[in-house]
Amino acid sequence: MLKTEELQINIGPQHPSTHGVFRMIVTVDGETITDLKPVFGYLHRNHEQIAEQNTYLQNMPYTDRLDYFNSMANNQAYAMAVEQLVGIEVPERAEYLRVMMVELTRILNHAGALGFLINDMGMWQTQLAFGMREREKILDLFESASGARLMCNYFRFGGVVRDLPPDFIPRLKELLQAMPAFVDELERLLRENEILMQRAEGIGILPRDLALAYSVSGPVLRGSGIPYDVRKAEPYSVYDRFDFDVPVGTVGDVYDRFLVRIEEMRQSRRILQQVIEQLPDAQGGHINPKARQNVRPPVGDVYARIESPKGELGFYLVSDGSGKPYRYKVRAPSFINLTPLGDMCRGYKVADVVVILGSIDIVMGEVDR
Amino acid sequence: MTITIQRGEVVEVARGSQRRYAVPGMGLLDSLGVVWKHWRESFRQNRDFSDIHGTFTEQYPDERPNLPEAYRNMPILLYDDETGHELCTSCFQCQRICPPQVIHMTQAKDPTTGKAVPSVAEFIIEYDACMSCGFCAEVCPFDAIKMDHHFELSTADHASLTVYKQELNRPVSYYQSIAPTLWEEAKAGAYKKLQGNIKRRPDVIGIAPHLVDRIAARRAELAAAAAAAPPPPPPATTPAAPPAEARKLTPEEKAAKLAAIKAANASKQSGATPAETPPATAELSPAEAKAAKLAAIRAANTAKQAGTAPAAEATPAPVDEKAAKLAAIRAANAAKQAGTVPAAEATPAPVDEKAAKLAAIRAANAAKQAGTAPAAEVPPAEPAPVDEKAAKLAAIRAANAAKKAAAEDNETERN
Repeated sequence: MLKTEELQINIGPQHPSTHGVFRMIVTVDGETITDLKPVFGYLHRNHEQIAEQNTYLQNMPYTDRLDYFNSMANNQAYAMAVEQLVGIEVPERAEYLRVMMVELTRILNHAGALGFLINDMGMWQTQLAFGMREREKILDLFESASGARLMCNYFRFGGVVRDLPPDFIPRLKELLQAMPAFVDELERLLRENEILMQRAEGIGILPRDLALAYSVSGPVLRGSGIPYDVRKAEPYSVYDRFDFDVPVGTVGDVYDRFLVRIEEMRQSRRILQQVIEQLPDAQGGHINPKARQNVRPPVGDVYARIESPKGELGFYLVSDGSGKPYRYKVRAPSFINLTPLGDMCRGYKVADVVVILGSIDIVMGEVDR
Repeated sequence: MTITIQRGEVVEVARGSQRRYAVPGMGLLDSLGVVWKHWRESFRQNRDFSDIHGTFTEQYPDERPNLPEAYRNMPILLYDDETGHELCTSCFQCQRICPPQVIHMTQAKDPTTGKAVPSVAEFIIEYDACMSCGFCAEVCPFDAIKMDHHFELSTADHASLTVYKQELNRPVSYYQSIAPTLWEEAKAGAYKKLQGNIKRRPDVIGIAPHLVDRIAARRAELAAAAAAAPPPPPPATTPAAPPAEARKLTPEEKAAKLAAIKAANASKQSGATPAETPPATAELSPAEAKAAKLAAIRAANTAKQAGTAPAAEATPAPVDEKAAKLAAIRAANAAKQAGTVPAAEATPAPVDEKAAKLAAIRAANAAKQAGTAPAAEVPPAEPAPVDEKAAKLAAIRAANAAKKAAAEDNETERN
C-alpha cells in the first residue's frame, strides 16, 4: 500500500485563471481536493474609506471601479441609495434609461463571463472572442451615451447625465436584432459540446441549503434552484412593468450556472424590447431638474439593492448630515458568491477549481474593494 | 420557501444531454461548425450591429476611431479664437468637485491694483492621476473646461503629464470640431458670460499665453500704422498702443508711475487750484486710469484714517515701489491735513506743512530714483518755511519726473 499524505498548494495570487490577484490555498490528497481556503485582499485599495472622505457625488465615478464590467449597475445601486437617503424623485424616462443601460450591462457581463468560463476550461479564446465582439457593440453604445466605454459614470442623482444621442435607439434595435442569433450560436457551440459537458456537468455542486446559508445571489443562487431575483422580489425602478422570466437550475453545478446565464441574456433582451416600446411614452426628461447633485442628506441610513448581473449589489450609506457619507458599505455580490468556494470545490479535482471559480463569475475589483 | 413572481414565470433551464447524438463526439463536430462559419465569414467586414459575423478589427493607426461626441478623455481649457480670451474665470468649481483632486489653479491679479480679476493665472491638471470622470466639464458654469477626444497621451516623460495652462489651452473652434452639437447648446451662454468677464479683465490678463505676444505685436502694428498716417492721429484712434507698452513696464517704472498719479491726486485733494495739477490721467490707458482712480480712493481713505492710525513712520522702505507708494500716501495725508485738520497727533513731524513737504520730496525722490536704485534713505528734511503751495509744487514735480522717466524708458524700448 502506497503511503500518501496531504499536500498544500497555492493557486494564485498571480495566476492567469484567478481573474485577478486572488489566492486559493488548496489542500490536496493526490488530485482530489480535501480543502480550499480562498484568500482575498490582494487588490484592496481602500475604496470604502476613500468614499467616506469624498462627497456623495464624487463617489459616483469610484463605484465604476468596483466591478469594472458592470459600471452602469454599480452606478444605479449607488444612485438609488443616495436618492432614497435624500428623497430625490427620478423621472420616468430616466428610470427607463437606467433599466436599459443595466440590462445592456447584463448581456455584456454574461457574454464576457461565459467567454471567460470557457477560457478557463481550456477552450482558449474562441468563445471569448465571440462574446467580446458582442460586448464591443454594447460598449460602443455606452460610449456614445456616456462618453466612456468601461467607466461610464453615466448616472446622477435624479436621473442620468445626458439624454441618448439620436442614433442610439436605432443602433440598439440593430443589436437586439442580432442578439438571438448570437445566443443561439453560443448554445450550439457549447450546450451539447462533449468537452464542456464533461468539464461542467456535476462539477462544483452548490446545494440549495448551502447556497441559502452562504447568502449567495445572482446566477449562482438561481443555478442552485432558488428563483430569487431582486427585480422580482423587490421590484425597484420600473421593473414591475416588464414581463420576463426567472431561469433556475436544478442541480446547482457549473453547467446549471452556465445555462442560467444564457437564459438571462434572452430575458434581458426581452426587457430591452419592452423598454424600447415604452420609452417614447415615458414622462419627464433624462434627469430631475430640481435634483441637486451636491447633496447633504439628513441624518439617517439607507440600504439600496439591485440585481446586478453578478447578484445582489447593495449600498449601505449612513449620513451624519454632512456632505460626505459617514459610512459607506458595499455589499458586493462577487465577494459573497466567492465565500462558498471551498465547499463547492471539496471532493473535486484540482483542474476543476479553475472552472468552478470561473462559473461564479467574479471580478476582483469588487471582491477586494 | 415560496417566491411569487408576477409578470413572468420561473423556468427551469433544460439541461442538454449527450444522448441526443447517436455517435459520441457529434456535439463537438456541431460546435466546430460554428467555428468554421466564423472563419469563413472572417474574410469580409462586419456590416453593422445586426451582423454577428465578419471582422470588427479597426486598423488603428491608419484608421482613426470614430469617436462619439460625448467621448471624454482628458480635460482641456477653451479660449476664444478671435480675442484670445480664455473662458475660465477661476471660480474653483472644478477644483472643488474633482474626485481625485488633480486640478489646481490660481486666480489672476491686476498687477497695478493687486485686485483679483475673473481670469486664471495658472491652471494645472495632473493628467497622470485624472480619472476622466468629466465632472469638471459638467460643473463649469462658463463652459471653459471641456473633455478632449485626444487619447494618445503615452509618453516616457512622466513629468510632462502635469499639464500647465499653456498646454491645456485649445481654441473654441477645436472643441466645436470635435463636439459640434454639444457646443451648439453651450455656445450662447458661454459667449455671453465671456463678454461680461472681458470687461473686468485689464490689459492682456486672461489671454491665452501663447497669444499674448501675437496680440501685443498686433497692437503695436496698429499703433505704428496710426502714427504713420499723414493726418495727426486723434488720441482716440490709438488706444491700443499704451497697453502694449504698459505690459512691458518693469516694476520700478510702474512704481514711478503710480507715485506720480498718487501725488497728483493728493495735490488735487489738498484743495488747491485744479489748473496746476498735471493732466496725468489724460494720456493713460483705461487700465492705468482705473489704477489711478483706485490709488486716489486709497489715498483719500488713508487720509481719512490719519486721525486714528499713526500714518507716517519714517522707516525707509526696502523696495522702491513700496517707498513710492508710502510717500504718495504720506503726501496725500499731509496735504489733506494741511487743508482741513490742524496738526494730526499721529505724525511725529513738528508741523503739518513740514510733513507735507517732506512727503512730497520723498515722492519726488522715489520717483526719480525709481529707474536705478532701491529708493533710498530719504534725507532728513531740514525745517523749512513751507505751505500748501510748496507741497503742491513738490507733487507736480514728482509727477513730471515720473512721467519723464516713463517716456524715456518707452523710447529706449522702441529703439
